[in-house]
Amino acid sequence: MKRTAPRSTLRKIIKKHKPELRLAANADLLVHLNFLLFLHRLAEEARTNAFEKKSKIIKPEHTIAAAKIILKKSRG
Amino acid sequence: ERKTCEPGVPSSLIKNIFRHYVKMPVAREAFRIVEKCSERYFKQLSSDLEAYTRHAGRKTVEMADLEVLMRRQGLVTDKMPLHVLIEHYLPLEYRKLLIPVAVSGNKVIPCK
Repeated sequence: MKRTAPRSTLRKIIKKHKPELRLAANADLLVHLNFLLFLHRLAEEARTNAFEKKSKIIKPEHTIAAAKIILKKSRG
Repeated sequence: ERKTCEPGVPSSLIKNIFRHYVKMPVAREAFRIVEKCSERYFKQLSSDLEAYTRHAGRKTVEMADLEVLMRRQGLVTDKMPLHVLIEHYLPLEYRKLLIPVAVSGNKVIPCK
């Protein structure tokens, strides 16, 4: 897996949503960390869903169900 | 056709990270959902960070804001401090930037 963070892209994304907001130095790395943790949670949840449905692969419905739960958990 | 003006994390990167964590075959359509979900996540994250920063009367998102956010998300807990997550998930080069000196050492030398 590629380990480097798309640092400028992360800053751009936040700028797109909140143009007024500034990020302190290296705060984007914590944003990246948070994104990794978010994807990790999403992956775990999707996998659990797939297991429950006795599916050998992750299907869209598994990710949709996982997304609903994990986005809710990610609210600050 | 992809719009170049819309910033977003490259889909290949999202795909790789997700695949790495899920450790199972993933249907192509499912990846698209993950991508959509990531966009939604960043939108949510931006407003949360704005709220935290504004609440503190600042215009700049500080590291502390992200730590509070991760605590609220249940990622950082008393048993799971932020620096452990950093050590676990981020490569060494970034770790060095975020934890200049080991937090869990006897000597803590404040350095920048």
